[in-house]
Amino acid sequence: MDVPSKSHKAWMDIVTGKRLYALRFLAAKILLGRVIRSVSENPSLDNINASIEQLRNIYKKNIDTPSVQQDLITIFGEEEPCNRTS
Amino acid sequence: MQQDIMTVAAATDKINQGRTLLLAGDEHALRQLPRGNWLGGTIPYFISHAEGGVASRDRIFVTDISGVVAGIEIAQYDQDSLARVYTEAPPRGFSFILIPGMSKAHLSFALNAPNYKGFGTHPLVGWIAGVHLDDLGRVRPKVFNGLTGSVIEEGALVLKATLGPGKVAEVGIINLFEQGDGDTLTFPADGFSAEEVLVNGETRNFADYILTRRLDTKLPLVADYYGAMVNISFQGIDRAAGRVKFYAPVFTGIRYKHARPLADYRTAFQARVAEEGSVAEERVIFSCNCILNYLYSELEGKKTEPFAGPVTFGEIAYQLLNQTLVFLEIHDI
Repeated sequence: MDVPSKSHKAWMDIVTGKRLYALRFLAAKILLGRVIRSVSENPSLDNINASIEQLRNIYKKNIDTPSVQQDLITIFGEEEPCNRTS
Repeated sequence: MQQDIMTVAAATDKINQGRTLLLAGDEHALRQLPRGNWLGGTIPYFISHAEGGVASRDRIFVTDISGVVAGIEIAQYDQDSLARVYTEAPPRGFSFILIPGMSKAHLSFALNAPNYKGFGTHPLVGWIAGVHLDDLGRVRPKVFNGLTGSVIEEGALVLKATLGPGKVAEVGIINLFEQGDGDTLTFPADGFSAEEVLVNGETRNFADYILTRRLDTKLPLVADYYGAMVNISFQGIDRAAGRVKFYAPVFTGIRYKHARPLADYRTAFQARVAEEGSVAEERVIFSCNCILNYLYSELEGKKTEPFAGPVTFGEIAYQLLNQTLVFLEIHDI
């Protein structure tokens, strides 16, 4: 399973709090608890991109963890591999 | 059985067999152990599979991780270098951290871990070492490096475990506390204590607020981190100073609520474990629970199946937690 590129729209929807998902991976949930607040206070593109980078990196580094794989399906669905990575 | 409470002699046998162990025990007991592949922290309270909650100064709680790890190293950090705990984690495994309670590293980790570089990129689990409650203020918590024989009161020790092929580690928590229906509380500064609080946006003295509202300080403040409930436990109220002390820091911008009361910890615990469903006993290689849950919920003599482990002065699942059960699972992939 691959982690979608940071340009995938779903990342921005998550870190801006525009969409809420029932996630399972604990580290991502703790991070999002802070990141969404941070982006809300400072919605600059730099801050959004840094937040996406941080969240994506957590998923990428833990890609073999079962809850990470569940989360990726929850967020991105069963997309074609060509749409998942850059 | 991977986790069990045992005599010093039995723990010594395991060490001498070359087993890789995570240990918890009173300082006097841990000091009797030979060098070997172990990391240990001081605490004389445990929850065992056989006896449930128990206080013992002469026995040791042993978690044997030999069956899942391919190799270990133990690194020592101070309160500053601890910021590298994620970036220096083993690429395929987990980091198990022990920090002496009330140490500079404890305070630093509590405040800064959420902002460490690479936060969450590798599994980090562990606990804060403590002492028998009769020894509070007289004896300092300690952490032992079994490989070198060193014992520290300041800093932190991290056992970096590399897993065998086809295995992956995952950190989980069970927190029975949920946000109540009361006021939304925010704080103007990060810290282990607070004088001021914003109650639904209105500035109040926090000590006055708690006393006026007669809030039960056995129940923590709870923050909702994207569905993960994170507690801040009350340490005490200094009425004269108008200051409230916590066992973990509050953070600015985070919205807290006083927890909803629990009717009975064990009943709620069993219900939550049943709800979780996906926590399989055979996959759990380590767990620990909070001394406040042990005390307030009167867990002495009571079991928290499928979990056993040390009863601690703080739990670590990526960052410092309070009044929470933390566990580490190993999945086959």
